Amino acid sequence: MDIELLEIRDFLAAHHPFDQLPTDALSALPAKLQIRYFRRDSTIPESGNLNNDLYLVRTGAVELRDTEGELLARLGEGDVCGYRTSSYDELAEHHGSAIEDTLIYQLPAKEVDDLCLRYPPFAYFFVSEGGNRRRDAFSNIGQADSAQVNQMTVPIGDIIHKAPISMPPTATIRETAEVMSNERVSSILIADAGGALLGIVTDRDLRGRVVAKALDYNLPIAEIMTRSPLTVDIDDYAFEAQLMMARQNIHHLPVMNGERVAGMLTATDLTKHHTTSAVYLVSDIFKQTQIESLQEISAKVPQLLLSLASAEATADSAGHVITAVTDAITTRLLQLAEQKLGAPPVPYAWIAAGSQARNEQTAKSDQDNCMIIDDGYDEKLHGEYFRELARFVCDGLDACGYIYCPGEMMAITDQWRQPLKTWKRYFHKWIEQPEPKALMLTCVFFDLRCIYGEKNLFRDIREYLLQKTRGNRIFLAYMAGNALSHQPPLGFFRNFVLIKGGEHDHTFDMKHTGIVPIVDLARVYALAAGSEAVNTLSRLEAVAEGGEVSENGARDLRDALEFVSAIRIEHQAKQIRAGLKADNFMSPDDLSHFERNQLKDAFAVVRTMQNVLSQRYQR
Amino acid sequence: MSIWKYLFNLEERRNWWMRKMPDCPLRDYYEVDFPDKDSDWRQVDYIAVDYETTGLDQKNDQILSIGYTTVRGSRIYLDEAVHILTKPTVDIPESSAVVHGILDDQAARAKPIEEALPILLSALAGKVMLAHHAAIEYHFLSNACRYLYGYPFIGPVVDTLALEVRSFRNRDKAIQAGDLRLAAARARYGLPRYPAHNALTDAIAAGELFLAQVAYREGKRQPRLKDLTVIS
Repeated sequence: MDIELLEIRDFLAAHHPFDQLPTDALSALPAKLQIRYFRRDSTIPESGNLNNDLYLVRTGAVELRDTEGELLARLGEGDVCGYRTSSYDELAEHHGSAIEDTLIYQLPAKEVDDLCLRYPPFAYFFVSEGGNRRRDAFSNIGQADSAQVNQMTVPIGDIIHKAPISMPPTATIRETAEVMSNERVSSILIADAGGALLGIVTDRDLRGRVVAKALDYNLPIAEIMTRSPLTVDIDDYAFEAQLMMARQNIHHLPVMNGERVAGMLTATDLTKHHTTSAVYLVSDIFKQTQIESLQEISAKVPQLLLSLASAEATADSAGHVITAVTDAITTRLLQLAEQKLGAPPVPYAWIAAGSQARNEQTAKSDQDNCMIIDDGYDEKLHGEYFRELARFVCDGLDACGYIYCPGEMMAITDQWRQPLKTWKRYFHKWIEQPEPKALMLTCVFFDLRCIYGEKNLFRDIREYLLQKTRGNRIFLAYMAGNALSHQPPLGFFRNFVLIKGGEHDHTFDMKHTGIVPIVDLARVYALAAGSEAVNTLSRLEAVAEGGEVSENGARDLRDALEFVSAIRIEHQAKQIRAGLKADNFMSPDDLSHFERNQLKDAFAVVRTMQNVLSQRYQR
Repeated sequence: MSIWKYLFNLEERRNWWMRKMPDCPLRDYYEVDFPDKDSDWRQVDYIAVDYETTGLDQKNDQILSIGYTTVRGSRIYLDEAVHILTKPTVDIPESSAVVHGILDDQAARAKPIEEALPILLSALAGKVMLAHHAAIEYHFLSNACRYLYGYPFIGPVVDTLALEVRSFRNRDKAIQAGDLRLAAARARYGLPRYPAHNALTDAIAAGELFLAQVAYREGKRQPRLKDLTVIS
């Protein structure tokens, strides 16, 4: 009696997590299923106790609602719900109803347990605690340490140490191989007497073009070399070389110093090399005297992001590296402005706000900044100087691709270029007489970092505002309200993003629905705790220690942020690679089933923490 | 013989055949009571069944494969799904091989009908036969029983095609050519398209159609078995 349920097996094989099962387990699985049918608008009878089976939608669509009737998820073909699919026990109490004629495959809990026991990749999907599942996924994404990241911005000349090893084109294959063997190199350059590069020979060439073809070892090496190979310049950044290798799938790049060969760069050199800081690109910035040359360097930021993505840097370290470049450009612009306009008449501090302050910039960032001037400031005497200074820097940043902030949160506007006492008045008003609309605009100023100038001005204002926000329940209630204004989607339904209330959107705004809600939560926690931390991960770490939020909650949020940010970096890297402008909008089509599930979990964490926040401050 | 079915109900005829018959797999089948026709439909077990045959002539064509699975309590249980290739005593005509893809050499590895039929009969004991256009399954089975045991097969039958006709009539809708085909009927209930002409796949397809048809019946009361069976 052979059972022929190929049709069902093929369906399972095409859907996560069943795609993780080996062939024999997959073939045996259909025989363990039960099939059920629900007509449109009917309720799944087990509603309220969906935990005894795993439900897989074969065709149709199912909605899950909580006991209060709030939409929680909408499932389409290939989606699963029920046993062990959610980290939240309450989910089992949810109500399922078919919103279209629906055919369900149902797998009893004990069969799920059995498969989980036998097949770890399958079990991966079902771990009881959502946090674990996410964390495991994240650890797959970003393992790169900062050293690996930092080496990107090193010029190639600093990585290659040895003098180039080269052979004349007339040397025999055997002689060349001997030299390679003695020098313990996996590749060798072929150059003429004048040092001009003719070609390259690698171990692989010796294997493939000589040994495998039983070629005469006494032939000149020129016979088998790769002619006019791709090269890099000694002044290029290491990340440019790494990208070239990745794109062309090569592991050796001759390094040129003008017309002459300077050495050989191998993939191993790149991975072996460690430096301690990302100072190279940055130090280049400080050598520039013209806006145009700063522009040239800032134009490399998308490439830098690309290399960070291909080095699998964590989103956090990528954010720090990219922001370091912005900081350097800002600082250099201020130095150039002071050279042009003369020394400042009174002390001032240039403050970054928003994502730059938080060290969370990506390839697509506009500028948010402000200026705090010493209280000795006199509009009549000094106004002109600071106006010019701010215009020079903001225009310069805009020219470098950090476009003007649409909300005009920039030092170029008179409002945000004020003496300390005015800033204190601003914060006093925002904190003591909060207005929801004003807070929405000004919350960017609750993330501040001093970039340049008199640090004490910045410390003053920071202390002033934190001492006012710490434990200030009325203000925090307003901030909490603001933090709840960006809601993460419920998940994905077919090729739509499912938004609370059941509306659909074609693309998923990773910034506003994925990242901003977490940033907003962390800001409220930090202000409530009076923490000086500004970076979101640092804030979450600091507040968990202080008890403002549970340690598990903070950890889940950190994981969720890292995951969404990593997806965003990947998305932007893909756009840059395709020659497009990087943005924050991703189509659900571009997500794997696995990523969709991870994202759904991340959204669930954010929604849970938003609920906790709203209960804490809004009652 | 058809006059008997107006004079005696199914249960009485089952008893009649059982008393008459010598010991054989068909008699074992008749020894189990038929399900109560007044039962809630969910209390009854159904065997959704389909065959591939050498042709459509019930008298002369033979069964090539049997697929069946259990429907119980508004669920299809695939752990009870069975697919048997049966060995015909004639060569497979090319015309039918094109349809079901069962070739002579495959069929040669199959069970002889006298081994296959008892398996199906024991599965059907105490249950309801369920098929799309069930007359074919019913009569092929009955003819095979007569051939092997000398007596006909009777039993309660649910025909999804007949249920589909009823649903058209209840809605006063005219039936167009092709409307009653299994795939066309399934499409009306949002059921997926399956590759046709594998006995087990078609049996499951009929089982799913049955679940959909019951789900779509008008009225609040759950149907009884007798509301769903065809008169036989």
